[in-house]
This record gives sequence, C-alpha cells and structure tokens, in this order.
Amino acid sequence: MQWIPEYQADVPRVERFNFVARMTHWGHTVTFLLCLFTGLVLFLDSVDWLAAIFGGYHGAGLVHRIAAVVLTIFLAVFVVFDFKGIISWIKDLLRFGINDIIFVMKFPLEFLGLPVKMPPQTRFNGGEKGNSMLTPTCVILLVLSGYIMWFPSIFPAGLVRVAYPVHDIAMVFATFMVCMHGYLGSFHPGSGESFWGMWKGTVREDWAEHHHPIWYEETYGEKASNDEE
Amino acid sequence: MANLTNLYDTSKCTACRGCQVACKNWNQLPASIKPFKGYYQTHEDTDGDTFTIVRMNEYEDSVEGVRWDFLKYQCMHCLDPACMKVCPRGAYSKTEFGATLHDPDKCIGCQYCTYACPFQIPKYRKREDKIAKCTLCADRVKEGLQPACVSTCAPGALKFGDRDELLGYAEERVKYLRQNGYPQATIYGRLELGGLNKLYILCYEPEYYGLPKEPKIPGQIPFWQDYVQPYLGWLIPLALAGSAFSFVTTRVLANKNGDHHEGGHE
Repeated sequence: MQWIPEYQADVPRVERFNFVARMTHWGHTVTFLLCLFTGLVLFLDSVDWLAAIFGGYHGAGLVHRIAAVVLTIFLAVFVVFDFKGIISWIKDLLRFGINDIIFVMKFPLEFLGLPVKMPPQTRFNGGEKGNSMLTPTCVILLVLSGYIMWFPSIFPAGLVRVAYPVHDIAMVFATFMVCMHGYLGSFHPGSGESFWGMWKGTVREDWAEHHHPIWYEETYGEKASNDEE
Repeated sequence: MANLTNLYDTSKCTACRGCQVACKNWNQLPASIKPFKGYYQTHEDTDGDTFTIVRMNEYEDSVEGVRWDFLKYQCMHCLDPACMKVCPRGAYSKTEFGATLHDPDKCIGCQYCTYACPFQIPKYRKREDKIAKCTLCADRVKEGLQPACVSTCAPGALKFGDRDELLGYAEERVKYLRQNGYPQATIYGRLELGGLNKLYILCYEPEYYGLPKEPKIPGQIPFWQDYVQPYLGWLIPLALAGSAFSFVTTRVLANKNGDHHEGGHE
C-alpha cells in the first residue's frame, strides 16, 4: 500500500510554490498545531494529560502565546516578502466559477475513491479555493481575537466578550479545514503530486498539465512563454 | 442548607469604610494605594487586592443642596453565576449556603469570568496571574462566624443570615423608608439575574447607585456555552473520521478497479 506517491526527480517538473509560501505554510503548520493542542486544553474539559505534556495549564498557556506570536510573525513575513504571491493567490480565488462548483459537487465521489471526470481547474481547484478562503479567514480571526483576549484591558469590554466565542468558532472551523487539508494534501490518492508541490516546491509537469490545465497553460504553456522573464 | 445572605442597607451606611478595612484584614490583602483625585472615593473599583469598596455618590440639587449616598460594592454571589458558566477550568463553585467561590489553584488567569460577569467583579491579580474576588467569607461562615465586613459594621448597615428571613426584614424596612421620605426605596437582588445571594435596601432607583436595573448576562455567553462548546466541536472528530474512512475506501476501490494510476485523478 502506498501512502504518498514517490518523489520523482528525473522527470520534468514545474514550480508550484515558492520558498516564502512554503516557509509560511510549514511554519503555520507547526505553530497552528502547537496552538491547537495547547488551546484544546481549555476547550475540552478535564484533559489534564494533554496539559501535562506542556508542563501543566500554565505551561500550556505559555506555549500557546509563544506559538501564537511566531504564527503572527510568519503571517507578517508572508505579507512583507511575498505580497505579489498573496495578490495572485487572491486573484485566483476570485476566479471561482462554474468549473469550481462542478468540482466541489463531484468531489464527494472522488473523496471516496470513485473515478470522476473533473472540469479543467485553475491554479487552485474548487476545493482548494474553499480552503484558501476559509482557513486564512479563520486564522486572521483567531489572531485578532487572540490578542484581544491576551490584552483585554486595552480593548472595549464588549469586544472582549465577543472575542471568546469568535476564537472558539474560528478554531473549530480552522481545525476542521486543517484536518481535511492535511489528509487531502497527502494521503488521499487523488491528490497525487500536491504534497511535493508544497514540500519541495515543484510538481511533475504532466501532473500539472492534467490536474490544473488552465494554470499550467497560463504559466508554463505556449501563451505564457512570451511574457515570462 | 438555606442560602445565607449578606444584606446591605444604604439608608444606614455612613461610609466609614470599616468593611473595606475588615475585608483587607481578614483576607490578608495588601493595600492598593491609589492617587488622590480630589474627592472622597478612595478606590474607583474593586481590584485583585480589594474585594469590596464603598461607592460615594455625590448628588447636587438646587433645592435639596448636596446629598451623599453610599453603596458597598462587591461580588453579588449570583444564584446562577455567569463566571461559573464560562470558566474553562471549573474554578468556580457554589457553597451549600450560596457563596460563589473561586479556587485559585485551578485558575489560570484567562479572565473569561471578568468579562462575563454583569458586575465585572472577578478581577485580575497581576502578582499571581490569577483572578481574585470576594468569598462571602466562606471560611468564617463555615465556622459559624459572620463575614468580616458584617461583624465590623458599626451602624448596622450590614446584616448576615437566612436569605428568606432577610428578605422579610428588607420588605419591612423598605415599607418604613417609603413612608418616611424615600418613596423610591426598593430591594435589589431579590429577582435580578434569577436572584442574588446579596441583598440591597436602596433608598433610590438602582441606576442612581450605578447598579444595572436589569442586569443581564451578555447574550453571546449562553450561545457560546450552550451551543458552540458542546456541539460545534464535533466537526473536528467528523473530519478525522471522514479522512480515515476515505483513506480506506480509496485504497479498497483502487485495488478493486485495478486502476490506481499514480497520481490519481483530480
């Protein structure tokens, strides 16, 4: 049984994610999970064993805050060093259209492993677009509400009261998306090369052409070769 | 055991602030020294080291002149406390006689309770990174003593005893006050928030003393505690279970079809 497809260095590959994007992605993976497990200590009742891993409730709180600050720094680094990347990401999300809707409607079958014919996708497919919209929104809400809860005395009391449920709701949706994304980005057979796109930065050229034909055509196809570099 | 309640009669209080001192003394709280602001109010609000304060209301009227009214302010020991609902560590508990107790050993200083409380009573104590508030002197009451503030009150503005008996006393007292120049006299704490284990005999409307007339637990707290916390969280195990299910079915189906071309489909 195969967990993820093997990395093939000897076939033509194209870049999918640049270094800053990958650093932000994996930086957020580590810090988000740290925040998640230290935060669950409070969300779930009586999980003393989970708190004990981080040196008790106080230690968990400290780890949560440190990880949250590092997460914020990664966010800032991404904005500063790859602003263009963010803009093109958002532009791609705004191309959400009929192909993406068909993709999302058909996806449950694909999810279970049934053969499905999907319409051509842009850089991000319908599901990835959904994830790209929901997860960053939740993370931004988590960051904002988190700092409000950390320094409640400098914010209006009404805002502080709203911050608690917002932090909880955003956490649940973000974690839901992270669970799905973690699985779909790695072990789901249909995802193929996408893991290597985020880990090494490149994907097999034929995979890109097959799975994201619109993106491939626009970026590496004949039309793009004229205005590149 | 019936609820044992602390009753405060605004009409008898002289603002000697003996209760403030007795409270500090019994609870071994250090002084929290505040700058002088030009009026008699020493502390604007309770804090991590000040469980009770006497509020001084100055009231100016062109006919009656200046009038001073006092209000002892501290934890109301709500019968259904919001702090207890939101505390993620279950640090709050109700004693058998109705005091709302806070256990500092469980507290992690998150301050959810401060902002859930309609009276903003639980206060952050920075030196310990924990919350602190009035205990209704539960340790004294368990030994058959009265709370420190009650035992020191010289004019008899504070009384301690069975809640129902004190309500009877308060009704009599309010009747007397209404007939003797305080037509707005009222009881506070009988029905507010489903009942407070702290009763007030007020000479005027509650707002006049800065007490909310109809104190409310902020609307998002029931929504958060009763729906978001118990139900929404199940989305996470659902995602994990769905992934595990898909992990198995995709591989089973791939073996069956014999057509698991590498990289799969979309």
